[in-house]
Amino acid sequence: MSYCFTLSKALRDHTEALREWSTTECRPYARQADIDKRRPDNWREILDTAPIALGRSDREEPDPLPEFEEGEWVSKLAFYEAINYGDVWVHPTLGGGIGHLVVKSMGTPVQIERWYDPIEAGGSTTGFALTEPGFGSDTSQVTTTATRDGDSWVINGSKMYCTGGAFAEYVVVFATVDKTLGAKGITAFVVPRDTPGFVVAKENEDKLGIRSWTTSELFFDDCAVPLENRLGWGPHGAEGAPGNGQGAALGALAFNRPNMSALGIGLAQASIDVATPILKSRRAGFTPQRWSAIEHDLEAMNAALDRGRRLNYLAQGRVDAGAPSRSLSAAAKGYVPETGERIIRRCMELLGPEGSSKELLLEKWYRDSKIIDIFEGSGQVQRIMMGRSLVGRLAG
Amino acid sequence: MINLEPDEEQTEVGALARSIGEKVLYPAARDAEREGAVPKDVWHTVFETGLAMPVPEEHGGGGVPGPLAQLAAAENLAHGDPGIALAALWNGAAAMLIAEHGTPEQLAGLVRLATDPEARSAVAYHEGFGRGPGEYATEVHVEGDTVRVVGRKVGVAFAAVSDPLVVVGRDQVTGDVRAVLLTSADEGVTVDPSPGALALEAAQVGSVTIDARVPVSALVGGPGADGARLASTLQRLRLQTAAAAVGTAQRAVEYAASYATTRIAFGTPIASFQGVTFPLAEALMRIEAARLELVAATVAILDDPSADHEDAVAQAVGYALSVGAQSTRDSVQTLGGHGFIRDHPVELWYRSAATLSALDSDPARGAFQAAL
Repeated sequence: MSYCFTLSKALRDHTEALREWSTTECRPYARQADIDKRRPDNWREILDTAPIALGRSDREEPDPLPEFEEGEWVSKLAFYEAINYGDVWVHPTLGGGIGHLVVKSMGTPVQIERWYDPIEAGGSTTGFALTEPGFGSDTSQVTTTATRDGDSWVINGSKMYCTGGAFAEYVVVFATVDKTLGAKGITAFVVPRDTPGFVVAKENEDKLGIRSWTTSELFFDDCAVPLENRLGWGPHGAEGAPGNGQGAALGALAFNRPNMSALGIGLAQASIDVATPILKSRRAGFTPQRWSAIEHDLEAMNAALDRGRRLNYLAQGRVDAGAPSRSLSAAAKGYVPETGERIIRRCMELLGPEGSSKELLLEKWYRDSKIIDIFEGSGQVQRIMMGRSLVGRLAG
Repeated sequence: MINLEPDEEQTEVGALARSIGEKVLYPAARDAEREGAVPKDVWHTVFETGLAMPVPEEHGGGGVPGPLAQLAAAENLAHGDPGIALAALWNGAAAMLIAEHGTPEQLAGLVRLATDPEARSAVAYHEGFGRGPGEYATEVHVEGDTVRVVGRKVGVAFAAVSDPLVVVGRDQVTGDVRAVLLTSADEGVTVDPSPGALALEAAQVGSVTIDARVPVSALVGGPGADGARLASTLQRLRLQTAAAAVGTAQRAVEYAASYATTRIAFGTPIASFQGVTFPLAEALMRIEAARLELVAATVAILDDPSADHEDAVAQAVGYALSVGAQSTRDSVQTLGGHGFIRDHPVELWYRSAATLSALDSDPARGAFQAAL
């Protein structure tokens, strides 16, 4: 097979339709969603205007999500870029979350049937609570505790950055059952939102960007759940081999990393595409030398994003082929985010002071984009992983 | 003999500004942003120090620090908070321009600016498009007893409420830089409704379209004002703003470094990882270099205020502003998730420095560079 750097026509048509829709129907709500720190109230009606299937979890769509010859993960990349090209508020409204993915990777068949299948079949959102105020990248530092008390696990501790934590049907909470075991003592619990002791300390954190995404601070105050809510357990205790909670949590995140990179590409491309026609309309105000510099910058920025796209597709193509590569995934997640930030900033600079005004969305996307090099494995963590492909565990 | 050290006055003024920045500006930063205005008591305190209102004593002011001391003041006030610092500095810019170039009649008017903290004033000089003072497209037509000003200015502090609003353009006959005393309320001065911005809200920055006629007495320094010297003062204003970006960067790096020494991951403070500390170390190297470049450009102007300093100033300003943006970015990155929430101030510095980098950027100097 020879190289091909273009998506199949079917996927291209689909994502172009998605991109156009997110731009014309969703982007107009971007500013307000940022101000209100939540999705638009009429989000369902907005999603109803989509000319193609989105994979919504809140209601049945006329058509199922089409499958493309590229495979699931490559298709998702195109999807993430296109939907976020409109604005970041849109894709979390499609529902899902990632808590149930952890259930799928760590749960017993009974747990999967109870907590994964209904969500996958179109249920509500699930939450994921790993990060704590005291740690982010080093997930072995979980201080939230789960203590056995008869037929219950009693959970105590604080969590932050829980996506959808305030309104999820349940949150998968990572806690240590034995601090002396370090990372091996960390495991996951399904905690339904209405459990006594499940406290929403802050419904939505006060953030620099992605303000429309609900990320919650949660507090667990003697929060008791039945034994079988511990993933990998039944009502009478452990079933099967004891899993590594931390490893499973990260496993659930790993394949999603290039998607986050695609999100960053979507925002940076949107910025270039917003700035370009404005700059062209003002061309007469620039000296020929400056105009030529601008044209060069626009070309360089577009080329930089194409480099990032190729790395993304390479990494996810391997996943679809059944041979995922940790280092390629790290390359994809590590490569794009800072360049994306720089592109948005450069677009603001080229436009001058009005480029950073709230008249345009560039200032918002500059704020939004900063998270991409931080969450789901920071740029530093991706560099460690890439370094390990060269020098092994010495990198750190 | 080469000497790259500040003198006693510069050191003292810098230290005073640093202390006021820390004790007065920093605690008020969030309030100033939320209100889109500097809290009154803070404004009065900064005003009384005279650090941002350089008016000579004989005109009712508190005296004028030397130009390099003013540069140090700008950097160190911004070390406390760039939003409040720049609101104060930009408000004082008109007085600085008038004090250095004004006619006796205009100098007499300085007493109001020097003594009334409620007065707001600004110099409208930026036009975007990467233009420096020698290239401003704003037209100044001297027509007998009147002056007509036509143009559009962006990034104007207190755009809607300034008196005076000093508009800078070029004489359509001589090509010289001219500054004209208008007010935001003048007929022919149209202020765009401000949609707000990424940061620096307390300075109430906006865009102004001008087609106004005023008596010739509104020309700063009169019809015979020295355009080259006027341009040099404007260059110093640009350098001061860039110094504020350097102060912001310095503060962000210090904050991030301090955080990195206390945050534990993988069994050790994250500061012990080169991947964490090296970006901050590089930022600090850039900051030192940027600061010296701003001083060097200012010294060159002071040595020969009649010369054209555009190239050196544009280089120094462009570099300092990009250092501000990059350093604050790296500081947010150091704090990770904590950098992204408003419990810590680094996100405010990140926004402020990026706003500054869009204020005075020349597309032809400093091309886009991908991170990898």
